[in-house]
Amino acid sequence: MHPATSPTAGVPAGRNHRTPLSRRRFVRGLAVVALAAPLALGAAGCGDDKGSGDPDAPVTIQFFWWGGEARAKATEEALKLYTSKHPNVTITPTWQAFDGYYDKLATISAGGNAPDIFQIDDNGLGEYAGRKVTLDLTDLVKAGKIDLSKHHPELTKYGQVDGKQIAVASGENTPAMIYDKTRLAALGVDAPQEGWSYQQFVDWAAQVTRKGGGKYWGTMDPSSDYKALWLWLRTQGKEFYNGKQLGFTEADLVSWFKLWQDARTKGATPPADIVHEAVTGSVATQLVVTGKAAISFMWSNQLSELQKATKNDLAMLPYPGDVKGQWPRASLYWAASRTTKHREVVADVINFLVNDPEAAKILGTDRGLPANLDVRKTLEAGITDPSMKATFDFENGLAPKFGAAPPVPPKGHSGLRNKLRDIAESVTYGKATPEAAAKQFFAEASAALA
Amino acid sequence: MALSTARQPATGARAKPGRSGKPRESRLRRQEGLAGYVFLSPWLLGLMAITAFPMLFSLYLSFTNYDVLASWDQVEWVGLDNYRRMFTEDPSYWHAVQVTLTYALIAVPLKLAAALGVALLLNRERRGVGLFRSLFYLPSLLGGSVALALVWRAMFSGDGAFNDLLAFFGIHGEPWVNDPAWALETLMVLAIWQFGAPMVIFLAGLKQVPTELYEAAAVDGAGKFRQFWNVTLPMLSPVIFFNLVLETINGFQGFTSAFVISNGTGGPVYSTLLYTLHIYNEGFTEFRMGYASALSWVFLIAIGLITVVFFTTGRFWVHYSDGDD
Repeated sequence: MHPATSPTAGVPAGRNHRTPLSRRRFVRGLAVVALAAPLALGAAGCGDDKGSGDPDAPVTIQFFWWGGEARAKATEEALKLYTSKHPNVTITPTWQAFDGYYDKLATISAGGNAPDIFQIDDNGLGEYAGRKVTLDLTDLVKAGKIDLSKHHPELTKYGQVDGKQIAVASGENTPAMIYDKTRLAALGVDAPQEGWSYQQFVDWAAQVTRKGGGKYWGTMDPSSDYKALWLWLRTQGKEFYNGKQLGFTEADLVSWFKLWQDARTKGATPPADIVHEAVTGSVATQLVVTGKAAISFMWSNQLSELQKATKNDLAMLPYPGDVKGQWPRASLYWAASRTTKHREVVADVINFLVNDPEAAKILGTDRGLPANLDVRKTLEAGITDPSMKATFDFENGLAPKFGAAPPVPPKGHSGLRNKLRDIAESVTYGKATPEAAAKQFFAEASAALA
Repeated sequence: MALSTARQPATGARAKPGRSGKPRESRLRRQEGLAGYVFLSPWLLGLMAITAFPMLFSLYLSFTNYDVLASWDQVEWVGLDNYRRMFTEDPSYWHAVQVTLTYALIAVPLKLAAALGVALLLNRERRGVGLFRSLFYLPSLLGGSVALALVWRAMFSGDGAFNDLLAFFGIHGEPWVNDPAWALETLMVLAIWQFGAPMVIFLAGLKQVPTELYEAAAVDGAGKFRQFWNVTLPMLSPVIFFNLVLETINGFQGFTSAFVISNGTGGPVYSTLLYTLHIYNEGFTEFRMGYASALSWVFLIAIGLITVVFFTTGRFWVHYSDGDD
């Protein structure tokens, strides 16, 4: 009955087009609609139970995130720890795989039932903040309900949209190339080095392909990946976005496409269809996991997840080019719904998840390094898991070289990101020249960001 | 639909003698009609609440900038902007139209041909024919599922089972679902494979063809092919028509397989961007629900027009035998 379902509901009705509709019945139908409309719209406004002032009054919080089995287990355990300390609070956790998460979040938010607390990333933050779905946490932070004083200042800033604290970073990660150490050693190729230029990197990858004997390639082709493009731009002092517009030119995009076209002709990257498998897929379809290429362009906190999916030893490295292109990025955030009835409790739960040392221990580095630097130190002192150790070493190594954090991608980003994917693939598949593709992207970008 | 049209001449013939007693009969009819509506009322209410209201509402939304997430006070009337954008500013729209038309124009006739062909084979009463009917019907029960689409994707990827099979015969296969030239064809094969539902309807239709017609044709010296062309096809034409209309509408509405196999992208390079998938992406990924509503309405009208064309041209080739008996 909700309007969000209407466009799809409109489709099957094609079958009914022969139903004879007399004028009287039509008029009667309209009357019913006129009656039903205010009912349906009014329903959203009902059921407001204003939160009583009593801090011990029973409260139920809806809590929603995406992720795998391990993340679910840890998150549920951390939430249980919170409720054991606050018996009046009941938390209803819901989680699912990333596929479809944003669809579901959009649908339930449209229905006015956005979960009190939900996980979000920088791809969605601008979209949700721009449409005022999220609760402005600025006052709660100022009042000390959420303590960000020990958090990495760049991470805190990366949770702000138009000067308001919209979300709190639940962890830090950076883009990272994940490579197959075992396979490279077997092929007798040296591991790639930090700080290589893209040209050096492509030549190295072409060499891997040559030694790989036809069915193994040097690197994934990340030309359709917005984060790879973004980092490449940042190594040249440019940005993906400048406010609500693109921060780069058509000529930049042409050289980006040409860079990877050149890599393709040199044999550094696999054919388009193999690249496509990894573009559309999740961790399980990444080329380092499926054993088709030595390099995948990922995020640093995904190392342990990828490592679980393959027997070969994996390691990671920043993307090619000047390392100052990297910034301390909030891998994921906690955000709250503007319609929540329990602002204080919501703030307290978020505060607990990001600042409590015990919670941090349970949550580990699955969502990236803890944003709270004190908590991060404590956690680092006690780690045993080798890939978690690698994540720490990687981020700590990068920390002194980081560039400044850019603003969060604006409203319209999710659409634009998909356009880049589709248009870049038309180059990979040889359906369009870099010039034509870049032109098309810019033609469509203005509509996507409008 | 075809069935109700088929009965029209018959009811017309029956109504003729009663024409003198018209007022009485119409009062009776009105009462019957009223009772009918009373019995229908649960369904009618459901239709109003679940179908008619959201439909009309989406018509309204198609003239607004409604965005799933934004609150109602941000919704603005934009007139025909969404419709203009569709035809002038959205290149993906034309990709979607082209892909959908190709899909429907190829998959629907082939599916019907497969259904009719297998129905003819399974029409004869032989031992075990029931088992085969069930086996051929099975895919149409499972075929629309997400699970099967996943299997399809795994089977028809570059190193999938299908290419292993081809390699056994020394053929080097394509990367099917990951190749823009083949991805849509792979979806079509999945659709055609689900010919079970129209097949069952064809079987029912074939049973209705009087055997004396074949006997008469045989006496007149008609061979098997002649019998098929001059007896089976004309006698079956109402059923063919019914299946054609239904399958065309179904074909245009294909979504699940394209969504699952392309991971919601319609890729590679727009090759599987069915119209419904474009609606979905605009509405739920890019949050332009107003625009998605406009897309849906144009789609509804297009399907409606195509169905009208079927019904108009149907007069020339659909043969209803009821009146001649």
